[in-house]
Amino acid sequence: MALLPILEFPDPRLRNKALPINDVDDSIRKLADDMLETMYDAPGIGLAATQVNVQKRIVVIDISEDKNQPLVFINPEVEVIGDGFEEMDEGCLSVPGFYETVQRPDHIKVRAQDRNGETFEIEDDGMLAVCIQHEIDHLDGKLFVDYLSPLKRQRIRKKLEKIHRQRA
Amino acid sequence: MSKRFNLRAHATRILTSVVKNQQSLASLLPYQPEILSSQDQALLQELCFGVCRWYQRLNAQIDMLLDKPLKAKDTDVKVLLLLGLYQLEFTRIPAHAAISETVQACKQLKKASASGLINAILRRSQREKEAMLDSLNKKTDYLYSHPYWLIKRLKQAWPEHWQQICAANNERAPMSLRVNALRNNRADYLEKLNNANIEAQASPFSQHGINLEKPTSVETLPGFTDGQCSVQDEAAQLAATLLQLEPNQRVLDACAAPGGKTCHLLELQPQLASVTALELDADRAQRIHQNLERLQLSATVVKGDASQPNEWWDQQPYDRILLDAPCSATGVIRRHPDIKLLRRDDDITELAKLQLQILQALWPLLKPHGILLYATCSVLPEENEQVISTFLKQQCQAKILPFEADWGTPGAVGRQLFPQPQGHDGFYYARIQKQP
Repeated sequence: MALLPILEFPDPRLRNKALPINDVDDSIRKLADDMLETMYDAPGIGLAATQVNVQKRIVVIDISEDKNQPLVFINPEVEVIGDGFEEMDEGCLSVPGFYETVQRPDHIKVRAQDRNGETFEIEDDGMLAVCIQHEIDHLDGKLFVDYLSPLKRQRIRKKLEKIHRQRA
Repeated sequence: MSKRFNLRAHATRILTSVVKNQQSLASLLPYQPEILSSQDQALLQELCFGVCRWYQRLNAQIDMLLDKPLKAKDTDVKVLLLLGLYQLEFTRIPAHAAISETVQACKQLKKASASGLINAILRRSQREKEAMLDSLNKKTDYLYSHPYWLIKRLKQAWPEHWQQICAANNERAPMSLRVNALRNNRADYLEKLNNANIEAQASPFSQHGINLEKPTSVETLPGFTDGQCSVQDEAAQLAATLLQLEPNQRVLDACAAPGGKTCHLLELQPQLASVTALELDADRAQRIHQNLERLQLSATVVKGDASQPNEWWDQQPYDRILLDAPCSATGVIRRHPDIKLLRRDDDITELAKLQLQILQALWPLLKPHGILLYATCSVLPEENEQVISTFLKQQCQAKILPFEADWGTPGAVGRQLFPQPQGHDGFYYARIQKQP
C-alpha cells in the first residue's frame, strides 16, 4: 500500500471529470486500498480518485468513529429521495482547514459496484448521504467551495495560495 | 471529505450512547478516535460527567422549556440541550461561547434543522431562569437530580438522611490515597506530599488513609509508580482492618478487581499463608495483576465466578473471606454519575438475589471460627442489612460478629456508611463468624 499525494484547491486538476471503470480488476483494488490508506492518514472520512489525480470513478468512505468500516464505491450513482434538504458543516482534504455550511438533499439512495465488481445499493439520510454527495461531486470536477458565495470562495483561494507559496 | 472536530458534538455522541444504548461512560470515554489535547480531554470528561450528574435536574428544565416533547430519534438533540444547559449553569464557560459552540455542534451532527430550536431554548433558559425557578423548586427531580425510583427507595430507607445522601452523590468525588504500610508510614508520606506541593491530610477513620484537597493525576504522586501509595477511597480501606488478619491465614478475596483491597490485606499482614483474588471478568482480573506488580506484592489471581466455587476452589478452606459483592453502586454515584441513567429499579431485587446466592455459595469454604466480611458500595438496605438478615436466618452456624467503630451508622446487623462531602464513599460492612 502507498500514500498518495492529495491535490489542493485551486489546483486545476481537481476540475477534471473522472471516467467510468469498465473492469474492476486488481489494479482498481490496489487503488482503493491506497486511497483508503491515504484517507485514514489525512485524516478524512471520504476521498475521491480525482483528489489523488486519478481520473476514474471511484470513491472511498469511512464515517465510523472507530475507522473500521471502510466502504468502496465504484461508478456510484445517486438518486435523491423526497425533497428534504439539510445543512452541515463540510470540510475537504483538498481544501484543508476550512469548514463551511453546505446545503444538500437530505435523503438519498446510492447504487455502485464494490471492490469485487458486485453491484450494491445503500439508502441513507445521515452523514453518509452528505459524504457520498460530496465525493461524487469530486468525480464531476466539483468542490464544496462551489456552493459558497464568490466572496467566500475567493477568500479561501487567496489563503490557500498564500500557504502554497510559503510551502514552495 | 473531512470533519472539523467539535468537542460538544463528540460529547453528544458519547452521551447519546449512554442515554440510548445504556452504555457506561467508563466503557466509552477511554476510546477517543481523535487525538485530543489534555485540556480537551479534561473538558470532554467534565461535560460527560456533569450532564449525567445533573441529568434529572437539566431534564426538568427542558420539560418546562419545550412546547412539545422531542421525537425518539432526536435523542442527540435532547442531549445537546442538556449539554447546553449544563454549561450555562455549572461551568465558567461564557454563555455566548457555550451557546454558539453547542449550536455549531448541531451542524456537525447533521441536525442543522435543530440549531434554531437549540439556540432559542438555551437563550430562553437564560432569560426566564428566575421566573422558572418557583415551579422548578417544587420538583424533586430538579432539586435532587436522582431518578424517581431511587429517591423513593432512599426516602423510605433513610427518612432522615436521604437528602444528605443525594447532595453528597451530586458532589464531585474527592481523591483519597492508601499509604503502603510496608514502605512508609502515613506521617512520612504526608511530608512527601507536602514537599511536592500537594495539599493533603490524614483521613479520619482509616489508619493508612490520606485525603487530598484536590484530585490530581497519579503521575504527580511521589513514588506512585514504585508502589509507595495507591488510590483508594477511605471507606474501602476499612475492610482490611475489619478482617482481623493474623500470620499464616488463608484468605479469599471474592470479586476482587481492581485489587485495591487485595493489596491492602497483603500490606497490612505480610505473613499471610496465601491470598486468592477471585474475579469473573478477565480484563478486570488483569488490573489486579497490574496493582500487585506495582506494589510488589503477590497473590493468586483466579478467574472465576464467586457463586460457582466448584469451578475454581482447591478444596482448602479459608480462615478469612472478603466478599465485596456486586451491587447497585448507589454509594459511589459521585464517582460514576451515569449510574443515575443506567440503573433500573428492578436491578435492585436481582442484585439482592445474586448477593445472597454468592454468600450461600462461599459459606462452605470458610473454616470453623473463620470470619466472612460482607461489603457493598450500596446505600440500599435491600442489598445490605436485608441480605445479611436473611442469610443469618438460613445458616444456624452463622453469627454476626459485632465491631466497634467511630464511622458510619449501626443497623440491626452491620454498619452503613453514607457518602460524605470531601470524605469517604457510601459503603456497607457486616462481619459474620462461623460457629464450630
